[in-house]
Amino acid sequence: MNDDLSQRHSAFRFHGSWLEFARIAFPNLLLTIVTLGIYRFWATTREREYLWSKTDFIDERLEWTGKGMELFVGFIMAFLLIGLPLIVIQLISQGLIFRGEAILAAAMTLMMFLLLFYLTGVAYFRALRYRLSRTYWRGIRGGSDDPGFQYGVAYMWKSVMGWLPIFLGVPWSMISLWNDRWNAMSFGPHRFSATAEWKPLMKRYLLFYLVPFLVFIGAVVFGISMAASGGTPDALGSTGMAVGAIFAIVAVLSFYLFLPLAALAYYSKYFRLAVGGLRLHNLEFDFRARAPDWILFFLANMAIVICTLGIGYIFMPYRNWKFFVDHMEAYGEINIDDLTQSETVVAKHGEGLLDAFDVGAI
Amino acid sequence: MSAFFDAWHYDGKSAVRRKVEVQIIGAQFFLLETERRHGPFAFSDIEYVTHKDDADVYGLKGTDGWRLMLSGPVPTDLNAMLPARRNYGGWVDRLGFGKAAVAFTVASAAAVAVVLLSPQWLAPLIPSSVNEKLGDALVGDFGGRFCSTPAGDAALKKLVASLDANPDDLQVEVAKIDMINAVALPGGKVILFDGLVKQARSPDEVAGVLAHEIGHVREKHVMQALLRQMGLAVVLGGIDGNSGALVNNMLSMSYSRESEAEADAHSMKALGGANISPIGTASFFDRLSEMDGSARSKASDNGIAGYMSSHPLSRSRKDAFEKSIVKGKNYKPALTPAEWTELKTMCTQDRKAKSGFGFDFN
Repeated sequence: MNDDLSQRHSAFRFHGSWLEFARIAFPNLLLTIVTLGIYRFWATTREREYLWSKTDFIDERLEWTGKGMELFVGFIMAFLLIGLPLIVIQLISQGLIFRGEAILAAAMTLMMFLLLFYLTGVAYFRALRYRLSRTYWRGIRGGSDDPGFQYGVAYMWKSVMGWLPIFLGVPWSMISLWNDRWNAMSFGPHRFSATAEWKPLMKRYLLFYLVPFLVFIGAVVFGISMAASGGTPDALGSTGMAVGAIFAIVAVLSFYLFLPLAALAYYSKYFRLAVGGLRLHNLEFDFRARAPDWILFFLANMAIVICTLGIGYIFMPYRNWKFFVDHMEAYGEINIDDLTQSETVVAKHGEGLLDAFDVGAI
Repeated sequence: MSAFFDAWHYDGKSAVRRKVEVQIIGAQFFLLETERRHGPFAFSDIEYVTHKDDADVYGLKGTDGWRLMLSGPVPTDLNAMLPARRNYGGWVDRLGFGKAAVAFTVASAAAVAVVLLSPQWLAPLIPSSVNEKLGDALVGDFGGRFCSTPAGDAALKKLVASLDANPDDLQVEVAKIDMINAVALPGGKVILFDGLVKQARSPDEVAGVLAHEIGHVREKHVMQALLRQMGLAVVLGGIDGNSGALVNNMLSMSYSRESEAEADAHSMKALGGANISPIGTASFFDRLSEMDGSARSKASDNGIAGYMSSHPLSRSRKDAFEKSIVKGKNYKPALTPAEWTELKTMCTQDRKAKSGFGFDFN
């Protein structure tokens, strides 16, 4: 019983409609407000149940089996493990400052920062693990036996190595960490293999990296040519001043316009390379969205949120998921008989750490 | 009793999809394939998983990935044996959406009310030893910034004794910091900043401010404010789940308007009891409140803004102090001219006390 995917148009398909999603999102919003935010764990769960159940992989829908209670417990754990110690340490270091022990206080603050840095890495890892272990396809789920503590260490030193050479190592650290994360994950009996390369990413990164310099050089060149052609601003009078002012505005605008565009162009390439390097047994993956797709996607998101005075924000999970599924592609074949149940452990708590740090999804 | 119904089934061991017939026998059922029979399974072990496209998906307790998918009209005898569908989550489904929303609203309002009110009941229950330890932990010796001279200490002691019946459980200090401010801290600690003492035109002004801070101590406002901030942070922390905001909330501790009014009332009573004229305190508030915006921003160099930000100034407070003047009463100065000079110059005389904060406070 083999499914040959190369014959098909796309292995992933999304059948959801935003009207159906609205019937979930609006009651969620109301319940979240009246519970002072506590319902949001169950809200997230309901939204994922819907999105997953409307997503086809080959010939069967995905299933989200996570529970709101798991996310809630994860949040409480994060609060007890991080929130309370943070408050206590903050109080102690304040006391130390009052006593004039500024160096000791600084050392404690540094320790606190390092701990948070480490836990952020662990949180990224465990969130991915949680999501895979709650995603079922044909009764089979994913997961990982790695608790992610080592990944936390890798996250710390690889991030620092990425920043050290005046931030030029960021593409390497991002790709390398992606590979580390996914190489520890599995689905059914098969382990993922992630072999994305970082070198092809450098050109896009340099584009993003150089935007501020390019805008600055443009300004200098423009200034010099102005001076050469028209003498001093005094000689030009008010017209010259006006031109100068307009130019300054254009320079600032282009900075705020080009920087996000370059960032999106970079991220688009990053995600394409990262997913492209992913393999599960005989399956290969591909993400087809290119920079213009990402830019249009983000402009549309902003327009929706602004035009609805912020209410449209509740549709962002829907839009993100749809964008993701619409552009995902898989090639190769799956032997259904070989795809047996995952034997990885299932953690009982959700994405608490990640939730606490408010960092994004995958 | 026996009935048959077509369904899809995954056994959770492999991804093979099986078309089965459900055969009900009492509280149990079998799943019949063309050549195999799965089961028996107990209906009591069946749990609702999710709704997928047009099918309801059920799982089996204890068997990871076991699925039974029923679509189309389900016979009533089978339907009666199956667990209820889950929509919003346990409580909401049991109560119904409308009732649950109302119940949550009431519960949330009650939680906020408890958090706002309970500090008044809880604060007196916290033993004074805990209060003292917390105060010591926070302040210590204030980094050696407390000023002390034999004559100055005696003057301060006399002032405190005239304003409070139990001066022994108060610890009042003058700190060598050039800010117009005074603070009450846990454990009966009151700190007058040298800047406030120096700018005062009479000992009566210092007496009024000191009595106000003692009022915060005696009315247990300090612990109340601490508890209230912590409680609010915990209750409202659920909304964005940001642990960082929690810490910030806690540190921006301030008193409510009611507490300020109570402390003022305490101050006026103490002044009256000590035969000290409240006119000095009134003129102190007058001088601060008459400053316009530009004077205020300039004044921030002198630290006046510090007192203003933590003590809401208004004409009504000044008026209240003026009104508390009893005509014909024979007021005495809070300190003799010699004592007042000693208190005022205490920090200048004490060369051992460190000045300022010794670090960037912002």
